[in-house]
Amino acid sequence: MRNNLKSILFAAIMCVVCSLLLTAASTGLKPLQQRNIVLDRQKNILIAFGIITQDQKIKNDDIGALYKTSIKHRMVNSSGSLLADSSRETNALPLYIHIKNGTVRAYVVPIDTRGLWGKIHGYLAIDNDGATIKGFTVYKHSETPGLGGQIQSRWFRKNFEGKKITDQDGNFVSISIAKGKTGQVVPAGKQPNYVDGISGATLTGKYLTAGFKTILEDYEPMAIEFRQKNQLYLRGN
Amino acid sequence: MKLTGNKTCKAISEALWQSNPISKQILGICSALAVTVQLKTAIVMSLALTFVVAFSNLIISLIRHQIPRNIRIIAQVAIIATLVIIADEFLKAFMYDISKQLSVFVGLIITNCIVMGRAETYAIANPPMRSFADGLANGIGYGSILCGVAFFRELLGAGKLFGRQVVPDVFYEAGYQNMGLMLLAPGAFIIIGLFVWLEHSLLKDK
Repeated sequence: MRNNLKSILFAAIMCVVCSLLLTAASTGLKPLQQRNIVLDRQKNILIAFGIITQDQKIKNDDIGALYKTSIKHRMVNSSGSLLADSSRETNALPLYIHIKNGTVRAYVVPIDTRGLWGKIHGYLAIDNDGATIKGFTVYKHSETPGLGGQIQSRWFRKNFEGKKITDQDGNFVSISIAKGKTGQVVPAGKQPNYVDGISGATLTGKYLTAGFKTILEDYEPMAIEFRQKNQLYLRGN
Repeated sequence: MKLTGNKTCKAISEALWQSNPISKQILGICSALAVTVQLKTAIVMSLALTFVVAFSNLIISLIRHQIPRNIRIIAQVAIIATLVIIADEFLKAFMYDISKQLSVFVGLIITNCIVMGRAETYAIANPPMRSFADGLANGIGYGSILCGVAFFRELLGAGKLFGRQVVPDVFYEAGYQNMGLMLLAPGAFIIIGLFVWLEHSLLKDK
């Protein structure tokens, strides 16, 4: 009995000491960690737009400054119209736009979707023609390292550049992840709408494909505006 | 290789060479395969593990007379887990990019056999400073193999060291190619195997 009491007492004291230490570490370092998270997202948006590259050594302050000068955060509603910053519409969709010399170069749609083991968070950048993908980045995921985890890898992300979310007639079809190499498993006419899949990560690809579809559908009214405006510019020529 | 002057020296030399955690005891292989694609991640991982194993040894050794025998494993795990989470929080605050690359593997130090093994076989029965030295040496022993593996993997797999190109462009123009296998886990297996072979054959000669 004496021994048991001693064990319980020891365990209790140990738990209190450990939790105090963990709380101190967690709350003390939180501001720094949150700053890192914000910077990491800004960096990923810049990478998706192709403003900086993945390997580029860039100081944290420069990321913040670059983000501030070239990226604007906007909200649109489901019919594609821009909302005022102050509006509190419930299903407003966030959007990031890249502005250069007074024109919108491209926009980024945040991709928050289901993965195999947890949520996948990333950014998909689309050109101002409303159809061509400029880039894709993933900043947070819990897929299997080495398999689904490759969604973060360079080759997979490069895969997306220049692909289309529309068919040849300009109708929305979304972007899908093929089960294998696009060149081998997808008919030639549909290849612009598919990217190479990751072998061993079929389910990650499946969920990501479904996520792209639902999310891009929500943004479709806005994308149509971009496509039409682009048509107008072309006619002007 | 005769460093058996006293017990501390013996513990250190054993951890570094005669019974190196990776190449002799074949422990901690999981993280050695995962984080050795680049030297940078390997070094940070080694530092994190060295920190955890040294301080868990020190703390456990300090309270070794107080830990009740029947819950000693739980106590060890709780101490190790606390240290690992603290290390993880620090990485997230000060080395965010690297902590993202190391992902789950910092958290998995908790289950790393080396840490638990040193606590249970050494720290529980030896005085604090000697345990601390033992932990430090085991961490360095682990780290030396990790960095060795990462050196070859990054050099052969990507032609880089610490992310800088070291294989000159002339080589690539002459037809040299990076060895893709080295970037995958089997590449690490082969290199670790060669390290094990090297050490065993060197020890046999003595």
